[in-house]
Amino acid sequence: MLVCLVAIVGLRVNPFLLQLPFIDRTALAEEKRMYPDRRWPLYPRFLDRVRETTKDGDAIALMFPIMNWNGGYSDAYYRASYFLAGREVLPLLTWDERFHPENLHQARYIAAWAVNVQPRDTSVVWRAEGGQLLRH
Amino acid sequence: MAAVTIAIVAMTVAGLSVTLAIRRGESVVFLLATGLLYGSALVYVALLLLSLLHIPWSLIASLIALAALSAVPWLIRRFLNLPAAAAPGHRVRPHWLDIGSAATIAGYAFFATLAPPWEWDFWVIWGLKARVFFESRGIDWRFLQSRWNMFTHPDYPLLLPLEFDFVALLHRSWDDRWLGILFVFWSLALLLIVRDIAARETTPFIAALLTLTLTTLATSRYVGMAECLLIAFGGAAVLLLRRAIRLNEPADWIHGALFLGFAANVKNEGVALLVAVGVAMLIVARRQALRLWPAIVVAAPWLLLRATHSLSTDILSQSGSGSAIGRILHRLPAAAEVLAPMFEFLNERWFWFALCAGALALPLLKRESFVLLVTLFQLAFFVAAYFATPSDIRWHVATSWWRLTDQMALPLTFVIVEQLAESLRRHTD
Repeated sequence: MLVCLVAIVGLRVNPFLLQLPFIDRTALAEEKRMYPDRRWPLYPRFLDRVRETTKDGDAIALMFPIMNWNGGYSDAYYRASYFLAGREVLPLLTWDERFHPENLHQARYIAAWAVNVQPRDTSVVWRAEGGQLLRH
Repeated sequence: MAAVTIAIVAMTVAGLSVTLAIRRGESVVFLLATGLLYGSALVYVALLLLSLLHIPWSLIASLIALAALSAVPWLIRRFLNLPAAAAPGHRVRPHWLDIGSAATIAGYAFFATLAPPWEWDFWVIWGLKARVFFESRGIDWRFLQSRWNMFTHPDYPLLLPLEFDFVALLHRSWDDRWLGILFVFWSLALLLIVRDIAARETTPFIAALLTLTLTTLATSRYVGMAECLLIAFGGAAVLLLRRAIRLNEPADWIHGALFLGFAANVKNEGVALLVAVGVAMLIVARRQALRLWPAIVVAAPWLLLRATHSLSTDILSQSGSGSAIGRILHRLPAAAEVLAPMFEFLNERWFWFALCAGALALPLLKRESFVLLVTLFQLAFFVAAYFATPSDIRWHVATSWWRLTDQMALPLTFVIVEQLAESLRRHTD
């Protein structure tokens, strides 16, 4: 019983938490801050710029260089949904790898990051932060 | 940081009214801890009601609603002319081992506030919903029902996102930088409740040892996700109901049932916990099972709203492989495909081995049948969910099993460590 008790209590001690107040946390904090955007560190700046330009309720289709759901499009879409909360972010691709070109036409804006394509009937609102915002 | 701090103070003050209306004379530790948990629950109810009444969220409206709701327990007491019960006076005596618990909580405070919540589930589910609702100043049912937003798990209860929204209302803008502080205080609240319960049952040394052991179970590493709050409400509920079965004090039944109901408003696993507790209660204390009615009352509104807005649960959804029942039946002959990943991805394996060894060394089924049965039924629900999942089983287990084991661990660890320590103490005496 004593062995069990010592083992349970000992295994619940977390040395990492105990030493955290006393170590330099700068690198760890930076790692955590960058964690959601580690694949595309500049993408949030682009999304911030899109947010500044658009209004609540605007429908925005998302163009991204990786047109593969699990390969990266899903992460880009989720991240855009968070940064552009209040707008309606429309995907061009869904989890079943189905392409949804109809969303390109339904959206008022097209946010295209690292994609140098301009669909017909659209005008460039701005080009910055590694991407462009297009408008129907 | 100021907005989160004010939110925590406001929640605690509002929640104190609930604790005091249920029973006076509780220890300061219990009072503050339950105050914060009840206050968090009242914030959820306040914002949910405002949204249902189509009153746009604002700081003033939310504070008025919170103040009005905090008066409700007193009005009920007065209306029903209930006598004010007083707790059997006791105070929690500190022990030097508490320094270890305090140091761990301090370390967790540094961890939880390293950066804005970084977990994937925060910005895809909990934080995203909160931010969308804040932008629309109310629950955006259209967002939840949109086929493009199925990834946010629209059926998940909304208690946690609405906590974030309360902070945003106080801040007057969305700012996720210091939301981690909430998680520190919810963890602390649970630990103070644990400390209080243990102090009434055992010696100061064992009570402090128990709290120290449970500190890293209460401080969820998933900052920004619902685990922390679910463990807080669920853990407090199971431990208080365990005491209610033993001592039959009305206040324990009410506290336990209310926390259980609010756990069901945090995550779907909270609903599973409610059912697990209900079934365990029917087995262990059948005549007392009806005393869980506050849990049903608290859990029901979200379940009704979810149904009326057709927010489906992915586990129960139809897929290419058929219905949930069909998937379970199809996978039963190859059960190893489900069970093997559960062993492979078992987090903190040595801890679980030690816990199981401790359980086997004790006559636990006789003394702690309630907690043991609740844990077994929870486990059964989780296994059933893996059998029913429309996703790839291995992926589902790998991405969720370690969080589910965290949810089950706290009450079980409490009873095993307490019984081990008490057995050793009796043996030494």
